[in-house]
Parts: sequence; structure tokens; C-alpha cells
Amino acid sequence: MVESNSLAEVISGCKGGDAECFSQIVDIYASRLYGYFYRLSGDSSVSDDLLSELFVKLVEKIGSYKGGSFESWIFRVATNIFHDYLRGKQRRKKLLEARKKQLKSKLTEEKRSEAEMLDRLQIQLKNMDTDTRELITLRFYSQLSFKEIAEMRAEPIGTTLAKMHRGLKKLREMME
Amino acid sequence: MNGRSEENLKELFEKFVASEQAEKAVEDIRKGEQILRDNPAPKPSDELIAGIKSEIAISLLHKKENAIRYTLYKVAAVAAIVFILTAISIRFFGKGEETEKIMYASIIPTAIWESDDIAADDVELAVLTAEVEQVADEILSLRMGGNGGNGQSAITELEIELMEIESDFWKG
Repeated sequence: MVESNSLAEVISGCKGGDAECFSQIVDIYASRLYGYFYRLSGDSSVSDDLLSELFVKLVEKIGSYKGGSFESWIFRVATNIFHDYLRGKQRRKKLLEARKKQLKSKLTEEKRSEAEMLDRLQIQLKNMDTDTRELITLRFYSQLSFKEIAEMRAEPIGTTLAKMHRGLKKLREMME
Repeated sequence: MNGRSEENLKELFEKFVASEQAEKAVEDIRKGEQILRDNPAPKPSDELIAGIKSEIAISLLHKKENAIRYTLYKVAAVAAIVFILTAISIRFFGKGEETEKIMYASIIPTAIWESDDIAADDVELAVLTAEVEQVADEILSLRMGGNGGNGQSAITELEIELMEIESDFWKG
């Protein structure tokens, strides 16, 4: 984990348009953010796109970061980007619904082969509801405390703790 | 307590459940997170990271270009405003009016040009016209031989008089 003072300097450099500072931010966060996107989408190609989108957006939006937990801020941007992706995906899904029915049998086969390629954890995460999956991955890939996560999700900390406990317990059961 | 390093999960759970249950919940979370640690997600490829960094560099370049363009537009707009304001100031408050006045005065008598009393100007013009006509009549009568033998000198006198009248009029 980067010292908060040096991180503050790097962020200040980013605000000044220093490419080297942005490069450092990429080095610090890319791996964890990629893991976050991957565990949410289960698709490496989508994760590639979302990660690129996030960092390009970071260049535009860095001025709107007004202090506080940068970790919390960058993961909020990541969550918003993922939600936008989900909305787009749902639109595409609706458009393809009719065609999907026709190709149902073929798709089931393809789905099975795709699932076989994914790791076991990813399969079980896909079986969970989106909200719990998001909470588990956010907690794991960010360095955020439950208090920060609860604030980000705009829900009471007791709710966050209960959802997390239930979710991880369920995941463990599914994995056993 | 904000950062995760300062977080005491057991204490946090104890705010909502009994100590024993809190301990169990913390253990469940620890074991659950261990599953995620045991199954790491793939890492982004080096190509992807390099691509992202170059995309950032391009975005920064565009951002700088836009900032420069914006500054130039702003300077041009300010310069245009200053120019317009200066032009308006000169037009309404400056000495430009005097220059125009001198220009007109060289063509039209100042007394008439500046006068707002049209009725008085008309009277003067009528008197002048009558004088000119009277002198013209006298010249005509002299030419017709209506003034004995001393016609030529009388004509010359009248012509001089006529020139003086004209000259006085245009001088104001």
C-alpha cells in the first residue's frame, strides 16, 4: 500500500496533468481494479475495456476529486462504470431476446463450454445476486473499511455487515 | 476509525449481535475472504497496461491542446471587447467629434452649420438674396445703358460690392 503522503503528491501531479503521475496511479490500482471488474463480469475482454475506460475517465475526472479517501473515490468511479456497462448489456439483451429464443439449445451448449473455461469461484460468484457479488468483490479488491463501503453504498453499516456475512457464508457453502 | 487497517471487525459486529455471534461472523468472513485469496483473478496483461498508459498520454495531450485553445479564444474575446469599448468611448466621449466639425467647417460656414435657429437663418438668406438680386438688377440696367456715360466704373463698383456681400455671407 502506498503511503498516503506520497499518494497525495501523485494525485496532485495528476491534477497538474503529469503523465508520469497517472502512470503511477495505473501501477498502483490496475491490478486490483482489473480483479474487481473480472470478478463482477466474469469476462476478461470486458474487464480490459472497463479498465481502459476507467483510466481514461480518470484523466477527465481527476479535478472533481476533492480530497478524502482516494481509494473510495476510484472504486466508486469503477462501480459506476460497471453499472453503465450492465445497463448497456441489459439493453443489448432485450434486443437479442427474440433471437435468443430461436437459438436456445445452441446457446445452452455454448454457455456450458464457456462456464467450463471459467474458474470455480467465478462460476459460484455468477450464481449469486449482483448486489452481494458487488459487495464481496468491492471489499476484497479495495482497501476500504466496512464504514467506507457502507457510506459508498449509502446504506447503514449494519446492513453492509449482514449482507457481507450472509454472502461469504453462502459462497463458502457453494464452494465446498 | 476510517481505514481498514484501523478496523476491528469483532467490535463492529458486537454493535449489532452478541459477542459469541460476532466472533462467529468474523470467522465466517475470514474464511470467505480466504476463498477469494485462494482463487486469484487474472492480472491485466502488460500490453493492456501499456495501452492504457499511452491512451492517458494522448488524452492529456488533447486536454492541454484544448486548454491552450480555450485560453486563446478567451484572449481574443477580451481583445475584441476592449477594442469595441475603445471605439465606443472615442465615438461618444473622445475628440473625434471636433475633427469632424473642422472637416465640415471647411466646406460650410460655421455660423450656419452650428445654428439651430432655422427661421433666423432663413431671414438672413432672404435679405442676402434680395441684395444680390438688387445688385444684379442694377448691373443689368447699367449694361442696358441706364446710367449716363459713367457705366463701366459703376459696373465695376457693383461687381466689387457683390463679391463683398458673397464673401461676408460665406464667412458668417
